[in-house]
Amino acid sequence: MTLRTYVISRILLTIPMIFILFTMVFLVIRVLPGDPVLLHFEKQENPAAMERMRHRLGLDKPLWIQYLDYVAGIFRGDLGESMVDYSPVAQQIISAFPATLELAIFSMVIAVSIGIFFGVEASKGYGKTRDNVIRVFGIVTYAIPVFFLGMVLQMVFGLGLHWFPVESRFPHGVDLPSGLAVGGVHFSTGLYTIDSLLEGNVYKFVVTLRGLALPSLTLGLVLSGVFIRLTRSNMFETLQLDYVTAARARGLSETSVTYGYALRNAFLPVLTMMGLQFATLLGGAILTETTFSWFGLGRYIVDRISSRDYTAIQGAVVFFGIFVSFVSLVVDLLYAYLDPRIRL
Amino acid sequence: MLTLIRGSGCEVVEVDKSKVRKGMLSSLIPGLSSLSQRGLAGWLVVLGFIMVTSIVVVTAISPWVVPYNPSQINVGRPLLSPNSQFLFGTNNMGQDVFSRVLSGGGIMLEVSILSVMICLLIGVPIGLLSSYVGGIFDRFLCLIMDSIYAFPGLVLAIAIAAMLGRGVTNMAISIAVVYVPSYFRVIRSQVLSIKEMPYVEAAKAAGAKGRTVLSRYIFPNVVPSIVVVATVNFADAILTAAGLTFIGLGVPVDIPDWGWDLTNGSRLLSSGAWWVIAYPGLMIILLALGFTLMGEGLSEMANPRLRE
Amino acid sequence: MRCLIVVAMTVLFISACMLTLQFECKSARAGFDSLLVLGTTDSVETCLDPARAYDYFGWEIIQSLGCGLVEYKAGATGSIADIDPSLATSWSVSDDGLVWTFNLRQGVHYDDGTEFNATHVKYTFDRGIGIADADGAFVGIGYDGIINNVTVSEKYVVKFYLKIPFAAFLSLMACQASYIVDPAHAPMTSVVEYTVGDARASHPMGLGPYTLTNWTRTAGRDSEIRLQANPNYWNNASGYPKTKNMIITFYANSAGLALAIKNQEIDIAFRQLGATDINDMKTNTNLKVWEGTGAVIQYLVLQEKYAPFNNTIIRRAVGAAINRTTIVDTVFLGQAQKLYSMIPIGMFGHTDAFLALGDPNYTKTTELLAPLGYNATHKLSFKLWYETSGHYLSSPEQALVLKSSLEASGVISVTLDSADWASYGTHRRNEDMEAYVMGWYPDYIDPDDYIQPFLDSSGGSWIHHNYNNSQMDKLIAWARGNTTADARSSLYSQIQNLMVQDCPMIPTFQGSAYAVTTLKIKGVYLDITQSWRHWLVYAEE
Repeated sequence: MTLRTYVISRILLTIPMIFILFTMVFLVIRVLPGDPVLLHFEKQENPAAMERMRHRLGLDKPLWIQYLDYVAGIFRGDLGESMVDYSPVAQQIISAFPATLELAIFSMVIAVSIGIFFGVEASKGYGKTRDNVIRVFGIVTYAIPVFFLGMVLQMVFGLGLHWFPVESRFPHGVDLPSGLAVGGVHFSTGLYTIDSLLEGNVYKFVVTLRGLALPSLTLGLVLSGVFIRLTRSNMFETLQLDYVTAARARGLSETSVTYGYALRNAFLPVLTMMGLQFATLLGGAILTETTFSWFGLGRYIVDRISSRDYTAIQGAVVFFGIFVSFVSLVVDLLYAYLDPRIRL
Repeated sequence: MLTLIRGSGCEVVEVDKSKVRKGMLSSLIPGLSSLSQRGLAGWLVVLGFIMVTSIVVVTAISPWVVPYNPSQINVGRPLLSPNSQFLFGTNNMGQDVFSRVLSGGGIMLEVSILSVMICLLIGVPIGLLSSYVGGIFDRFLCLIMDSIYAFPGLVLAIAIAAMLGRGVTNMAISIAVVYVPSYFRVIRSQVLSIKEMPYVEAAKAAGAKGRTVLSRYIFPNVVPSIVVVATVNFADAILTAAGLTFIGLGVPVDIPDWGWDLTNGSRLLSSGAWWVIAYPGLMIILLALGFTLMGEGLSEMANPRLRE
Repeated sequence: MRCLIVVAMTVLFISACMLTLQFECKSARAGFDSLLVLGTTDSVETCLDPARAYDYFGWEIIQSLGCGLVEYKAGATGSIADIDPSLATSWSVSDDGLVWTFNLRQGVHYDDGTEFNATHVKYTFDRGIGIADADGAFVGIGYDGIINNVTVSEKYVVKFYLKIPFAAFLSLMACQASYIVDPAHAPMTSVVEYTVGDARASHPMGLGPYTLTNWTRTAGRDSEIRLQANPNYWNNASGYPKTKNMIITFYANSAGLALAIKNQEIDIAFRQLGATDINDMKTNTNLKVWEGTGAVIQYLVLQEKYAPFNNTIIRRAVGAAINRTTIVDTVFLGQAQKLYSMIPIGMFGHTDAFLALGDPNYTKTTELLAPLGYNATHKLSFKLWYETSGHYLSSPEQALVLKSSLEASGVISVTLDSADWASYGTHRRNEDMEAYVMGWYPDYIDPDDYIQPFLDSSGGSWIHHNYNNSQMDKLIAWARGNTTADARSSLYSQIQNLMVQDCPMIPTFQGSAYAVTTLKIKGVYLDITQSWRHWLVYAEE
């Protein structure tokens, strides 16, 4: 099987998965008690107005027509209108997603960095104190509820020391990073770190990092335990292999043996894990976003579940599913590329 | 957190073929002497077990031990910091935080135990059957499980909990639904490799029926992985129950619950009343930690690959 | 070696952060003379078009971007005397109460130079009534049941012909749904919705103290609103708006808002701060806590369709067992007022009617319930519901306190149950909750808005508590139509007494309004209108 066939077959496999996901969501949210129409009538109930609202929201059509309409919309890239404020869902998702993505990327970076660093340190001495302490650290950070850790960090570093802002992604009142403006064309990713660099504004870049610090540290710390354990166990195995002993015998320094040879091979499982965890990390950002008042996709979905905003929930889930599959695919491809044992 | 653990559920239990053998169940029965021989792994299990059991015991005897009725308001002035009368202070409704800490674990324990039981009752048979039978049935189930797995876990739990309504059973069900794919995956990867083992082939050749093969040969070897995933499930269920309560899907407010204290306490933090959230938060951490330690230790014992 | 590098980088990073903290305060303000930053947890719910907007915050912004015919003066108590001219300079009503004539202010211009006149008023109301948006106040309050038509009598004179005499008409004209739109930006048959990146296209208002220079929404919620002084505002000459630039920033929850004002990242924090935070800030020497009358009320509804609350005596017994002091002190730390009437304290017509039942009077409860067979061994038991989405302030805590207060009578046993806001509404519709906690904030400032939507058999049908009393309906209709203050006052008194007799719902408390600002802020008025008047607020150096 060539790479091309593999990619195509993977993409083809993704489509039914997204459909199953969408169908599940479509049905589940309609079973939820609570009528999105009713939520528009908090202070009175005018039957005629309610009928008009039901029609406006498309809920007077038979279920299967609602389903097919939405599916057709997905292919057009139209994820419908929010049932709360009638804004295009696609637009709302695109405004929400970069925050979650940026948080996820930086959390992952922190988690992997901590994980690899401590995992390597632990592997250098199996059973010794250093190893045990690091292992316990990895386990403990894992058991802490994310929002609890977030609040502790907020209190200590934000309110206490004033090093970092306690909430919000970007300081209020300062213009947002605007990205690249060439001629009349405006290009921005929504990721403030990249946009501020594109704009060439160092101040905004630092300020963005400052806003990212606590939330990504929270999520990164909680996640790091997985990577510590993974790196540690893989490094153990690798460090015992023959070629490592050979390298040592040739006189290479311990550092180059560890980081140059062993880590490179222990890295592959880490990469797979990154892919796996990345997808779930996007979902796990919900509580972090709530604690730090970020307006990202996680909070968007939770808000919309409360408002029974069917179109928004469906759209967000489909978008999320597509993105997760894409990340999975990239990780698998990268893995296949890097691991010489796998020949497609 | 719910969404984070599922990946590790797969990672933690990697199949090491050389270590799979019949009757591995016996290696898991914790005898103190055999445990301490296993070094850190053994100690982790013991420590975790002690932590969990103590919390269970304390919660069980709390009705007789609490200094004040945990749900009663205004037993003391609101927001008193920890002092001699109220060991952990009082919250904004004048309830005694110490009493609430002693009795608040009940909900968490109920939710996690119930969700694990549901997972075991549903996820394990499905996983065994599907991977053993194979074919279209298996592929179909895999697709469904993968779809559930791809869904942001907490969101799905929220949706299901919102659908079913608030309460312990419904929280447990929603967590179980999110977790079943993890069991499925882990069991499936184990069964697929065990299926090919020579002694299984031999048994089949000798005329053993599918049922017998599954129950006598495959199942016992899958148990260690299930146990590990179950402990991770426990820990995650606790954290997710706290998360669901945070969002408003918890039990009615007159039942003492650490999750509610966390939610309430988070609003009081900005005014300086740290004790309302700190102590219940600590208890949740300890409970989740207890299970995670057990899982870590058991996993290391089941797959001891690092013999020095 | 590696460790050293990591440590050095972390130190560098942290110092950079601390430096930027100094920069930030300056750079955010640079380029704005006269700027204030207000923080809030609200968000515009649907849009900024009075034809559809029916939420508190949408109205708050509309009030800064537009003007009505009349307005309430700052510090208003809700009486007619507090109504000031705005776009109308004087008005009169016919003897039968069916024709209202407004003389309009001359020399007021829209931003394209058109002069404001009576045609614009007619346009606004024809549009609002014509669009009849299902979400909007025109349908919700029922404008088309009140207004027959709007006539341009002369260039600067407009006449409203009503279908029924409506005593609260001026109050209605003062509410934001009646604000005048700019026809150049308000299509006759469609609602103006949020447009990304184009603030002017996102609202149909004009003539107000401010213009909208930026409105950004992220993930379906507001993330920033910027207001800039409107050079065409009719009251510019008096120095309004006092602050030329306003930035409104949004926080996800009260904790974030509380931290922001404590850190002085913002100048004003308004809606919603938790009770403990407000108490804490009262002792903070760097902040000033402003307190004012609230118009938000909360009440306990009793379902009359089936037992036990189909029995009036049982309802009264429960009413007598409510301890409002505990609610106000424990849940709100004193930041609310005990309420004994559906009409809020401070509003014309209010009487402490429910005090007659006691607060609490457990003897009365026991006496009322004894003949029905309820006593300490056989308690009256029912389920009390509350919502968990935070739609009302502190619902779970209220429920807990209500339960403890009711059970303190010794003859009542309460089970608590809850649902998130969406399910709560469905339960309400399905009429399967025996007792449930609800809240209300006003549309227009008049006792009618606190009576008719609850006690009138058709007006109160949305509550689904199945209360019908034709005598009550008559009283309400008279009070609504009668324009004599004395007559209305006496009627509302009768209405409130009848309500205590029937006890369909029990008012519990009235929330006070709070704002927290830095010390230099002046011009904050928290009155019964619940309006936050951006144009009055300023900083005194």
